[in-house]
Amino acid sequence: MHISEGVLSGSVLLGGTLLSAGGIGLGLRQIKPADLPKVAILSSGFFVASLIHIPVGPTSAHLLLNGLIGLILGFKAFPAIFVALLFQALLFQFGGLITLGVNTFNMATPAVLSHYLFRKLLKRESKTSVFLGGALGGGLSVLGGALLTCFALLETEKRFWAVAISFFTMHLPLAFLEALITGYILTYLKQVKPEVLE
Amino acid sequence: MKTFLLLVLTVLFPVLSEAHKVNVYAFREGETIKGECYFADGSPCKRAKIELYDRKGRKLDEALTDEKGLFSFRTQEEGRLKIIASAGPGHRAQYELETLEKIEEHPQTITNKALEERLQGLENEIRDLRKRMDRLTFRDIIGGIGYIFGLWGVINLLLRRKNAS
Repeated sequence: MHISEGVLSGSVLLGGTLLSAGGIGLGLRQIKPADLPKVAILSSGFFVASLIHIPVGPTSAHLLLNGLIGLILGFKAFPAIFVALLFQALLFQFGGLITLGVNTFNMATPAVLSHYLFRKLLKRESKTSVFLGGALGGGLSVLGGALLTCFALLETEKRFWAVAISFFTMHLPLAFLEALITGYILTYLKQVKPEVLE
Repeated sequence: MKTFLLLVLTVLFPVLSEAHKVNVYAFREGETIKGECYFADGSPCKRAKIELYDRKGRKLDEALTDEKGLFSFRTQEEGRLKIIASAGPGHRAQYELETLEKIEEHPQTITNKALEERLQGLENEIRDLRKRMDRLTFRDIIGGIGYIFGLWGVINLLLRRKNAS
């Protein structure tokens, strides 16, 4: 789900960069020194997750875990995801430096939204509601990311609808898988380190 | 935090495999251009669209890769050529071919043929090496995690300094 350089139109690139810059600014303001280890670990978690591929039909999709990062970090997910994407672009040429803004926005926005939608569920004591919150947040963040990626290609992709539909359906099984993973990780965290979800 | 880190590592590491970055590589022999298109782990991009452009950006030809990710073109064009590969939405790679040096026809044709046969092995080897260069290694991944922690460490330092003042 990393958009490479040379595929997007100028207006999309500019818009994505500005929106991401805003998100990163907001996120950095919220970070207190005590949050940093958490942000750094989730940042590198996202960095590694994109290297794990799950075969879906003829192609493959990679894990995102943007939901997990957003649910735990809120707006701080913007800088966390930005840093991870920056190093993926620099070290592996995944995506690209020019598309960094758009990619950050696509991944972080649904994640931050999930945070505000489901944080009440995560604060509850019952295991089921924590799992439910994690699963919904994890799954919807993947689908939201896929949707935004499709929209970013709207201006430049000629066969837009065909591509968008196949891209979106390809991410359905991934969303399901990530829902399970995110739900599981969050229930585990709730047991061993509940303050992470406060 | 330690248990969490451990959890992240155990969940994430065993399945490390393919990555989505697309690579394209090509070389030319006279009028033929042969090339290969593959993902970062070395697996072939099947049926990816390959386009051939000249120096001015005019499209000369277009082809699809086969099951092994291989493709070939024939062209008379001698200047710099550009090859652009696209595999799925947002995945794109390019490679530039150097100018073709004119080879004098008559006396060298026979030597060239013999050379070509000998060079075939070498060419395959170069292609393999190139593939390995583009492949992700464990070292890259661990290094990347290191960089991320380093960067957040610097941010930490700056934040603390700001809070202290």
